[in-house]
Amino acid sequence: MVMDPITFSIIRHRLYRVVDEAVITLKHVSGSAITNEGHDLMVSLYRADGSLLMGGVGFLHHLTSAAEACKSIIRRFEGRIKEGDVFLLNDPYTAALHTSDVYLVSPIHHQGSLVAWSACFVHVYDIGAANPGGFSPDSVDIFTEGFSSPGIRLVEGGELNQDIMDTLLNMVRSPEMVALDMRSMIACNNVAKVRMLALIGKYGYETVDEACSTLIDQSEKLLRERLRELPDGTWQSRQYLQAKDETYKVVLSMTKDGDELTFDFTGSSPQSRYAINCTRWASLGGLFAPLFPLLCYDITWNDGVVRPIKMIAPEGTIVNCKRPAPVSVATVGAIQSVNNAACSTIGKMLEASDKYAKEATAVWHANHFAVFMFGRNQHGGEAIGIFTETFAGAGGARTYSDGVDVGGEIPNPISRMANVETIEATFPIRYLFRRRMIDSGGAGEYRGGVGMEYAVMQHDSPDGGLNYVISGKGVDFPMSDGLSGGYPGAPNDYIWVHNDGVGEEGKNDDFHFAGSLDELPGERETVTWGVYPLMGDDCLYIRWNGGGGYGDPLDRDPDAVRCDVLEGVVSAKAAREVYGVVLSGADVDTAATAVRRKAMLEERISQEAAE
Amino acid sequence: MNRRISRALVLVDGKDGAEIHCAKCGHTIGPGGQPWKPGAAVREVPIRGVGGQAYTAGEKVLLRRFSCPKCGNLLDTETALPGEPFLDDIVVVKPNGAPRRKNTTHEQ
Repeated sequence: MVMDPITFSIIRHRLYRVVDEAVITLKHVSGSAITNEGHDLMVSLYRADGSLLMGGVGFLHHLTSAAEACKSIIRRFEGRIKEGDVFLLNDPYTAALHTSDVYLVSPIHHQGSLVAWSACFVHVYDIGAANPGGFSPDSVDIFTEGFSSPGIRLVEGGELNQDIMDTLLNMVRSPEMVALDMRSMIACNNVAKVRMLALIGKYGYETVDEACSTLIDQSEKLLRERLRELPDGTWQSRQYLQAKDETYKVVLSMTKDGDELTFDFTGSSPQSRYAINCTRWASLGGLFAPLFPLLCYDITWNDGVVRPIKMIAPEGTIVNCKRPAPVSVATVGAIQSVNNAACSTIGKMLEASDKYAKEATAVWHANHFAVFMFGRNQHGGEAIGIFTETFAGAGGARTYSDGVDVGGEIPNPISRMANVETIEATFPIRYLFRRRMIDSGGAGEYRGGVGMEYAVMQHDSPDGGLNYVISGKGVDFPMSDGLSGGYPGAPNDYIWVHNDGVGEEGKNDDFHFAGSLDELPGERETVTWGVYPLMGDDCLYIRWNGGGGYGDPLDRDPDAVRCDVLEGVVSAKAAREVYGVVLSGADVDTAATAVRRKAMLEERISQEAAE
Repeated sequence: MNRRISRALVLVDGKDGAEIHCAKCGHTIGPGGQPWKPGAAVREVPIRGVGGQAYTAGEKVLLRRFSCPKCGNLLDTETALPGEPFLDDIVVVKPNGAPRRKNTTHEQ
């Protein structure tokens, strides 16, 4: 039977709205900034067999992992899944990405039969790992990364298993906030279930089921058609990442052959003793995070998109680690490196097509920094929280335009950061400044979007300050790769400025109003991995990367460079040395620019051939 | 007829098969269907400071700039540690020189 296209289209859009409303519920019930300000969340719908039906927004690398979570629950609880149940799963070696991203998956029954699943996650306030907040750089194995379950029934037949909830809350810091996180996810899944049943009630189960099946087949058909339009080939990417004092790499060769795409991570580093590793399911999700928006921007994200994709990830490597390797930093570690590598290779493949070159992009914000503050706040309570600035990102340049300054990231289409005031109201800190970072966008004919810089110090803390956990991929490597000659965006930097004694009475305390890193006196220490204090008059300075650039910087319109300089996002020095643009006051010196660019081209030509 | 490989490179039918040319000046970089970077001019520079004051990367980290040896057009860049192999991007060439596009039909 061929389905009525109008009914099909209505059901398809209703499925989108089911997810949208569930996301809104999640945000409204949750009380944590990481969820409702940073949007570190995901909600999606799944078929009765656990396959992806309707991928939602949020961090997209969870879409396929949550599908595996549903399938794992189906296997574990076979014959015992009841109406009104809600299952919790957060074991990375089963399906999740790291323990603090907790999945709650809920079966949806219609007239006694399992017809679908709703799944969601938030990064919970704490999960009881060695370090507060979930990212646990001090952990050397999964056993010290907090509560971890391969599947447990949190709600049974609509009744909360309070003993299970109490056990979980007994193992975490700030249990009241974790309880709110859990309830926000239960509420989210409840809304998704009610709306799905309303949809089935209106159109009938058979019609909705057929629409869902058709939708998945349609996505597969459309993606395969798109792949056939693109040239066959192999494109490579290499992402370096640091943990403490060690360097690792994720290596990717992506091969497009006909209507299939294979991501081969052979050559990536062996798994690390540090928690930057990721599991196989995480790598799979990691490559899909850019694939969904870049190749399927007009295709529904579901299991049909998954079918033409293959992944090779050798076991025992940083992209497919073996238990009990630590993985708590994975989402800002190897998973994001997989995101970046896949974004780069997909971008290069799209650029090789006249039809699809406009969809290509340099790599966006490629280096999350996970900085979790913890300690007593100005209200006397215990607080744990991330600097949500890491979600603010920076856009990669496109083949026709600059990247968006502070423009988010590819793997999370709705990422954003909290207002300064939100953070200052919750934590005993004060922002000295927060602004766009000059020269941080990768140079190119089209410039990568710039990232930002900011500095904070303790303020009104009952304990004289607080502490923070920092992790990520380090500061030595730029990671937002450019495209077709574009430069990579500038790397991150994290600096502990020791101001001990500088602010004592009678001494210069202008630093309390410092407007830049240069105005902060005191010894500087780079911090990338571990737990550090933020006490007294010390400051923490953080800078995050820009997006990659596109094309030759010498092809950039000189007037665009002039505007960048006037806006303060490119320095006059970089304008001259990187873009070959000479300014005279606020104007372009056209003649001097022509001479300068000619000289730079001749310098390139004088280089020896590579081999 | 030229076929796009990137903004900077095109695939052109030559008398001995497909060739990769600089899109700006037409200089032959190398044979089609093979890695092209060995035919480019390459310069490795420390990435520290290379794009302006925000580039405070590690001392050993390099930016490789691949340029057309004839006109200087910047063809590609990559980040590398010393001694790392080039990243090779290869667009497959059909026997007649065109980029290969399969017309397979997926069997469900």
